[in-house]
Amino acid sequence: MNSSAVLALRNLKVTYDGNLAVDLNSLSIAPGEVVGVVGANGAGKSTLVNAIVGWSRGTPRSTGEIFLADARVDGWSTHERIRAGLVLVPEGRLVFASMTVEENLSSAFSTVSASGRRVYSREEIYDLFPRLGERRQHLGSQLSGGERQMLGIGRALMMGPRVLLLDEPSIGLAPKLVSQVLETMRTLAASGLAILLVEQNVRAAMAVVDRLVLLERGRVVLQGPAAQVGDDPRIAQAYLGATSE
Amino acid sequence: MNLSQQLINGLVMGHAYALVAIGWTLLLGVARLVNFGHGQMYMLGAFVTWWAVTKAGVPYALALPIAMCVGALFGVIMQRVMLKATLEQNLVSIMIMTLGFGYVFSGGAALVFGSTGEILDTALSRQEITMGDLWMTWQDAAIIVAAILVFISLKWVLDGTRIGRLVRMVAEDPKLAMLAGVNVRRVYYGVFAFEGAAVAFAAGMVAPRTPILTSMGFDEVIMTFVVVVLGGIGSVTGSYLAGIALGLFTALFGALVSPAYTTAAAFLVLIALLVLRPGGLSTGSAGGVH
Repeated sequence: MNSSAVLALRNLKVTYDGNLAVDLNSLSIAPGEVVGVVGANGAGKSTLVNAIVGWSRGTPRSTGEIFLADARVDGWSTHERIRAGLVLVPEGRLVFASMTVEENLSSAFSTVSASGRRVYSREEIYDLFPRLGERRQHLGSQLSGGERQMLGIGRALMMGPRVLLLDEPSIGLAPKLVSQVLETMRTLAASGLAILLVEQNVRAAMAVVDRLVLLERGRVVLQGPAAQVGDDPRIAQAYLGATSE
Repeated sequence: MNLSQQLINGLVMGHAYALVAIGWTLLLGVARLVNFGHGQMYMLGAFVTWWAVTKAGVPYALALPIAMCVGALFGVIMQRVMLKATLEQNLVSIMIMTLGFGYVFSGGAALVFGSTGEILDTALSRQEITMGDLWMTWQDAAIIVAAILVFISLKWVLDGTRIGRLVRMVAEDPKLAMLAGVNVRRVYYGVFAFEGAAVAFAAGMVAPRTPILTSMGFDEVIMTFVVVVLGGIGSVTGSYLAGIALGLFTALFGALVSPAYTTAAAFLVLIALLVLRPGGLSTGSAGGVH
């Protein structure tokens, strides 16, 4: 295990109804690093990030070791991992439909003693995503897909993440917003935040990640600096396979 | 019997129904739980209040919070036993377990308090307010005031406080609430404790109107069910209005047709309403609690 890592996974196995969905020997992320997880549909990308916070809308079983800095957290419940700074922006339903934008942002657990953690204020989120500021009194149900995505990311940042896990943030976003959101990721990483980015849109992800991890049937089949492995035909294959589904 | 007196009876009964139902309204809205032990929890609340007043010699105003603490404790115990089923939303198991708890409470209460009828007498229930031909007891007036205060307070807590926001988050999407750092189990415990305390308080207020028996509970659970569904699941305002509507309906139907068939008639109305408006009376019931 890399001692400078803020997140480290060892022998992580996740099964759904007895089927192995993720089987990972080791993966670690350093502070300020952006790691992209790519792969075809069903490769286990979402299962992986969900398992890191012990969360799922289904009922998977997960074994293995998960370290957040020096603390072993795989025995912790989801809200404890979230409060400790392991924050997930899930795919799909990620805002409270019956609450306003403002309430959705306030719904974040407020980190009181954030030692060295960057906790965003609501106003900072509005600066980051001016669109949310314009719609602060709108209900979650009235927002577009892109606005919900921004709101989900905004809420995550207000919890003072040490590691931000993003599951398909580009879904529902207009192409211009995709690059804006991904560029925001770079800015956040520059301030020391570690980001694990699950992205179907490999081309867009390539522009911001330091390292790429390619998953195939739950296993890492390729990983390395984006500049080195980006041209590997297996990535293009997974990418094409995914878009043709 | 004149009509005005029946309207007064109906209003008193309506506030009583609403007060008895409030805990279940929250429970159903937040945790999607039905509690068929609700009627027996009402019975327990009534008997704990009765025991505190007549056996322990505690003043009525102090007996109510004692009953509420006991009710909250039973709520927490029930939730502890059913927690796994609650988190998995295994509704059939929960229904059967709550039904079972009801019978256990019933049997336990008969062992402790006996099977004979008792009268829970309070200073308020012996004094009447009269206006011409019309009358109600001070206890009836207290029920109306208490119900209104409880509903306004609950609405305020849900809409205007941090705890209320946590409760609404869990009500709408418990999985998403976890990702916002909410301890969902603790909220479930809190909601069930509220259910227990609220029904015990309601029992302490309403039970002085009639003799109490350890075998009672069925009517209370049925009427609560009607109120909660009629009001729209999870709607606080809706269940207040539904309680009053049911009270007026019961009083007028009892006076104009026959008291023997009021429960049957109430259910006919409920079935008709569910056919016409599946979401209940409350509009925009998009799930959650409001």
